[in-house]
Amino acid sequence: MSKATPRASNAPKQRLAEDGGASFPLSSSLRKLSLQQQQSADSPSDICNVCKSSRYLNPNMRFLVNPECYHKMCESCVDRIFSHGPAPCPIAGCKRTLRKVKFRSQTFEDLKVEREVDIRRRVAKVMNKQESDFENLLDYNNYLETVEEMTWNLILEIDVPETNRKLKLFEAAQKAELNPNATFRPIDDQPNTSTLSDTSHVVLKKGGTQRKALATSFGDPFGGDDMAGGKDTGFVFKGLKKREAPKPESPFDPFDGWSVDAEHYNLQDNYDHQWIQNFKTDPEYYAGGWIQKDYWNRMMMEALGGMAIFIEDEIVARENAASGDAGVGTENAAGAALGGKDVDMMDVF
Amino acid sequence: MKLTEDDIYRKSSQYKHWSFTPTQLALLRQKTNVQACERVKANVARQRAQRAANALEGFNSASDSERANTPGENGSGNGTPSANGNGNGGDTPLRPDKEVDCLTVAEEMRLVDKFCETVLALAAFIGAPADVTATAIQFFRRFYLYNSPMTYDGQVVARTIMFVACKTDNFSITLDEYIAKVGVTRDQILAPEYLIVQALRFNFEVKHPFRGLRGVHLELGEMLSGSWMGMPFDERSKEQRKQQLLRLPKRAGGKEDNMTERDFGKRLEYVYGLASKILKETAQLTDAYFLYTPSQIMFAAQLLADEPVTMFYLNTHIPSPAIYPSSPYNKIIDTIRACALLLSSHHSYTASSVTPEEKAAKDKQANQEIKALLKKLKQCRDPDKIDLVKLNQAHKRDAVHAGELEESKAKRRKIAREDAEKQADDFWGAELHKK
Repeated sequence: MSKATPRASNAPKQRLAEDGGASFPLSSSLRKLSLQQQQSADSPSDICNVCKSSRYLNPNMRFLVNPECYHKMCESCVDRIFSHGPAPCPIAGCKRTLRKVKFRSQTFEDLKVEREVDIRRRVAKVMNKQESDFENLLDYNNYLETVEEMTWNLILEIDVPETNRKLKLFEAAQKAELNPNATFRPIDDQPNTSTLSDTSHVVLKKGGTQRKALATSFGDPFGGDDMAGGKDTGFVFKGLKKREAPKPESPFDPFDGWSVDAEHYNLQDNYDHQWIQNFKTDPEYYAGGWIQKDYWNRMMMEALGGMAIFIEDEIVARENAASGDAGVGTENAAGAALGGKDVDMMDVF
Repeated sequence: MKLTEDDIYRKSSQYKHWSFTPTQLALLRQKTNVQACERVKANVARQRAQRAANALEGFNSASDSERANTPGENGSGNGTPSANGNGNGGDTPLRPDKEVDCLTVAEEMRLVDKFCETVLALAAFIGAPADVTATAIQFFRRFYLYNSPMTYDGQVVARTIMFVACKTDNFSITLDEYIAKVGVTRDQILAPEYLIVQALRFNFEVKHPFRGLRGVHLELGEMLSGSWMGMPFDERSKEQRKQQLLRLPKRAGGKEDNMTERDFGKRLEYVYGLASKILKETAQLTDAYFLYTPSQIMFAAQLLADEPVTMFYLNTHIPSPAIYPSSPYNKIIDTIRACALLLSSHHSYTASSVTPEEKAAKDKQANQEIKALLKKLKQCRDPDKIDLVKLNQAHKRDAVHAGELEESKAKRRKIAREDAEKQADDFWGAELHKK
């Protein structure tokens, strides 16, 4: 527009400017005119970096990030690019493979904070020791220091593959310690996909040859060699107590180990008595789980249980024990134990 | 961690709370009697004083008959809710100077025994099985161990106890069916219920000897057929044991017999019936349950029914001191014999020596004595505890105590409560409260 109506006096100078490529005045004015720039001046985070559409035109637009690379893009771009499965990140220079399910809206405005929180969460899930797990406070503090150092390594991206490998090994070692009988899949020693920087192609499933190679490299999962002391557990902490797996629960015993051992009778497996015969064949009884032998046992128990209890002797002994050395007579003890206090209680009227 | 069958019995409330030595039992009854007498005398004296005061007032204002119909007035004058019973106290004759003649312990026991027979009759009337009946009688005896017939009327207590026993022993009968049979109001059954249950210390299980008796006869039957395996200390073979059983004398000290298996089976049946009858009646009417264990009572009844068979059975189960010096054989036999003596000394145990005429004469005499006792009881009832229904109502919600809650307020509350109950029966429940 300004080009279309140049003033005659200014014309050569203007052309010079155009020719010299110093288009700053022009481009800045263009930029001022452009819708995009207007928006970005308003709030730069409201433009999708992939499709350049802005919230101004679509107020319902949502931005999502993937914790693989934390590049922000709008929901429709995510749908468009990742609906058909994993695909590389569309942002120029980022080649990580992203999956649709991992996309989420960000919690913190600053993506650096978002990333740090994610990393800390991941580390804390594995490094979950408490002070009580260590023999002394010094060891615990050393542990905390190691954890913090490792966390910062991950955040600042120093030595990431090695740290991730150690974390995985440590997690597996913890699990194995908790339940030594469980079988685990061999740990994938491949670096985390987040650290893949130059694999441009997408690996969906491991091919047959890869699988074979993995199987041979890890050997038999049931082999005892990796459970032996020489196993790499990622980290070794001084003073860390050995974690003991809880013992398997023994079957519930309602009588707490007690049993009845009859002294005066021997229970037979079978009795033939006329009035017992009916019960043996009557479905009314056996259908409900009525056990014949229990009833015989109960009869014999009631017949002979208490036969050798001599109430007179035992009660006198009981009261003597109850009254103790206080010199209280048997009668007083009897009164106190059997009724003295309770007479008032009983008299509700 | 092994228990014997004796230890199992030691865990029961019957052993823990309801077993006594004879001395203890006597002392306890003595104590209950003394306490009841004191209470009766105090209450009668108070009632007389009040009546005298009222009579004095009556000369000035109202007539005597009017006053008798207004118990609330009397209650407010006294200030205690227990004085509500005074309305019925009007029936007792005014004997200003005469000291109340209370029952003695022996008389109380006699009355309790009599009431136990009433319970038996009541149970037979409503068709309760033997163990329910026995439970009711034991409840009754336990109740009157700590309470006196002077305080609570045996008739009233017996009716409620029968109902409680039906509930605890799974003889299901609804209250409505029960009152229809017994012919009293609901309140008359329910009013003393909590009192009784409390006096029983909520010990609802009574261990009876009936099932044990069946067990013994189960094994005797096995012995007779020669298939009982026997105890470890017994070296006789099954066949030897069977032959010995068949050769048992008919009576203790009699000469050796030789019965066929079939005849002996009949003998066992007869013994079972007789022992069972003794357990159902005589054992219930004595103090046997307080003094002995159910097993001992059962063997005592069995001993009375057929001594040789019982002794044979015991010999097969308890080693004699000749084999094990530490065996409690002699002591067990002594205890069982003592229990048998207690059972056979009761008048309901009809040994074959008593002729029907003698028995009738004895019964007649006993009846006369009981009648005299009941008459005496009427004069020494605790006036406060005569009307249990009214007393129970006084304890319930919305009872009109003097000056505590106005009648209109109580009425309003009652209507509100009834409304709420009615609404609660609706399909969607009651309406929520509006704020």
